[in-house]
Amino acid sequence: MKKKKELKISRRTVMKGALAAGAMMSAGSIPSKLFAGEFNIPDPLKPLPTTGGNMRWIDSGDMKGVFWKKLFPEYAASRGITIEYDGLPWKEINKIVPIAIRNGTVHDVFQLPIGMDPGVAVSEGWVQPWDDYIENIDEWLGAFPSGVYLPGVNQFNGKTYGTCLTANKRTGTCLLYSEKYMSEAGYDPQAGRMTYSEIRDAAKKITKNGNGQYYGWIIGGNQVNRWEDVVHTFGQVGGAHSGRGGFTNRHINFQNGKFQIASDQYMEAVELLLQLKSDGSAFPGVMSMNAPQARALMPQGAAGMIFQGPWCIGVWGRDAPDWKYGIASEPVPDGKEAQPLYIAEGGSNTFWLSANSTMGPFAGDLIRFMGTEQGQIYWAQTVGAADPAVNPDAVAKAGLTGPSAQALAMFAENILVGPNPIVRNKDVGIVAAKSRVPDPSLALVIQGLYTGQLKGVEAQLKDCNQRYEDALDKAVEEARADGANVTRDDWVFPNWDVYSNYGAEKYQEL
Amino acid sequence: MHKKPLSKQIYDARWCYLFVLPCSILTGMFVIYPIGMSWYFSLLDWSGFTKEAKFIGLQNYYEAVNDEFFWDAFIRSFIFMFGTVPVKIVLGFIIAVFLNNQVLKLAPFFRTVIFMPVVTAIAIIGIVMTFVFSPFNGPANKFLMSTNLTSAPIDFLGNPDTVLPTVMGVYVWKWLGITMMYWLAALQTVPQDVYDAAKIDGAEGYRLWIHIILPIVLPFAIVIILVEAVGALNVFPLIETMTAGGPFFSSEVMEIYIFRTAFVTDSGTMPRLGYACAAGVFWGVAVLFITVLQGLWMRRTRRI
Repeated sequence: MKKKKELKISRRTVMKGALAAGAMMSAGSIPSKLFAGEFNIPDPLKPLPTTGGNMRWIDSGDMKGVFWKKLFPEYAASRGITIEYDGLPWKEINKIVPIAIRNGTVHDVFQLPIGMDPGVAVSEGWVQPWDDYIENIDEWLGAFPSGVYLPGVNQFNGKTYGTCLTANKRTGTCLLYSEKYMSEAGYDPQAGRMTYSEIRDAAKKITKNGNGQYYGWIIGGNQVNRWEDVVHTFGQVGGAHSGRGGFTNRHINFQNGKFQIASDQYMEAVELLLQLKSDGSAFPGVMSMNAPQARALMPQGAAGMIFQGPWCIGVWGRDAPDWKYGIASEPVPDGKEAQPLYIAEGGSNTFWLSANSTMGPFAGDLIRFMGTEQGQIYWAQTVGAADPAVNPDAVAKAGLTGPSAQALAMFAENILVGPNPIVRNKDVGIVAAKSRVPDPSLALVIQGLYTGQLKGVEAQLKDCNQRYEDALDKAVEEARADGANVTRDDWVFPNWDVYSNYGAEKYQEL
Repeated sequence: MHKKPLSKQIYDARWCYLFVLPCSILTGMFVIYPIGMSWYFSLLDWSGFTKEAKFIGLQNYYEAVNDEFFWDAFIRSFIFMFGTVPVKIVLGFIIAVFLNNQVLKLAPFFRTVIFMPVVTAIAIIGIVMTFVFSPFNGPANKFLMSTNLTSAPIDFLGNPDTVLPTVMGVYVWKWLGITMMYWLAALQTVPQDVYDAAKIDGAEGYRLWIHIILPIVLPFAIVIILVEAVGALNVFPLIETMTAGGPFFSSEVMEIYIFRTAFVTDSGTMPRLGYACAAGVFWGVAVLFITVLQGLWMRRTRRI
């Protein structure tokens, strides 16, 4: 039997990469704002306490962490404080923040765990408003695009509790590919959106060319949300119009208010993943690696394609600057036109100020600066498309080029603002707090189908869809029992035109 | 004789009680109180960190016993125990017998080597093992392929059929040293004159071990089995770091199940501390039941 060749990364290769990175940095190929000592931090609008102190900050890291680690030392020095930063994966945030809230040791500034209703954080008294700490907050808020700050989302009782510096107009399942491997397979994703058949064929050819050294496609399969993200977004591209966000938005078709997990588009997306496996195009071992591990293997030449987000751009730019890759939109089912993707109104990466924090003046001063055009330009120059700055003018002035600029253009073209039930009725937040994703979740069902532990795509997705319907019905029922004025009709938006943004005027029409 | 009143007895033994007090307070704070509170929380519909907590009686227990994933995890925990404890006991005994031999000059070296994984942080071992068993350039697969034992890499931790045996193997390797130490301690209680007398009587080889040594160390075996069994039911850090219970629940044991329901999941909904406590209490009672059974078995064996 022919022995498979293995990809070998020698120490010499690693050294070469490190030297190349060093050379590029010294040549100034990376924006100069990446380096400390170059932020022009303005004086505070009003005197800050002179008592100093230590400000603790936790968020989901990635490129945010890269930026904060440059800015924080400078900012801390300019204000006479220290800043302790923890940039952790969401999985860790989801564990640490609830425990810290429970025992009263949560960071001064933090992100809420995924899916947690902000209304609960406010009503429970975990957070305090930023209004007292951001000077001229009304003027400051006025500089943000409309729809970023909304009652029930980040504003409560007339005060701003959550601050957003970044837009949520992005997807986490772009086609990122090795230019070399894709070209050798005879495909150019830049020529137009690839179809499922083309993806499958390209993956087969890359795997064949790899001859055991590399494979067509890779995914961080033990990070279960990756399966759901791919199927959800691919389903949307295929025409399953639905919302994004937590359990009470995701997978719901706002035209009829029903989950569409069992739709043809979702099934086709799941089938594509299973076909990539049955074709032998999937990287061996995807089930025992998480998304960052899978991402790290791409520049090492282990696979030709991965469906991930624009956060890869910054990481690869830093870790493998010589590696040539491309970014393209998600594939479309054969014979179909790509349909829009939807985001809810509001920003992303919302920062909350702990109710116990005594560092509010400093946190407010820093957030205020980061919301200014200059702060947003700094952000965009470092973070790029990974977490796009929320101010479009600042993004334009940041002078982004290459994959970052391409990704932002792609998102602008593909993504629309869809309806958000919580903007329509803030009591939907109570439902969110009551809701529980049923076991097994869609993410786990897809994982189970992939591993072969579950059989029958259609039957499994239908069962899953029914579980989700029942879970939402139950959460609505419990919320109503607690006095919430909410029904399943709050998820039905009959005036939703799936080809245009759903703005304030549409809500007024309801 | 007139018996002293209780208050007088306590007063007379006041120094004893005083010395017991710190330990009692600490036990109360860190053992009794948490156990009591987990019983109480198990009766609540509570996320664990909101003010809202509704008393729902035994509903969490009802839900748990009707949840197939609960029972799958429950059974998997026992599969883990029955799959690892006998292997550890037998292997540990064989190694201890060899290393108990005074003639073997390198015995201390081998003891140290076998004991080394015991003192290594379990989370570190878990993470390192994910690389060791990686199907892409992992040393385990490299070895198997270079020796032509397999033609394609095996996804040890990503395949539902291999994940649990792999984790069990790592667990045995990690803790084998401590089992060996227990056995060594037991073997060293056998007096030298027993060996000498056996030899004079012509008992050698397996007969010496089966008929002379084993009956002497049997009571120790019961204790070792008890300790090992309870240890094998507490494998949270190893499994969390190696597989987090996946793929698709294949390695989800009870502790992972409890952890998953007690905290916000990847799916992004509120945690259920009340429910997790109910599952934990149920599990705790099951482990206690096994411990009591083993205790009874130990008592009976001692009588024999």
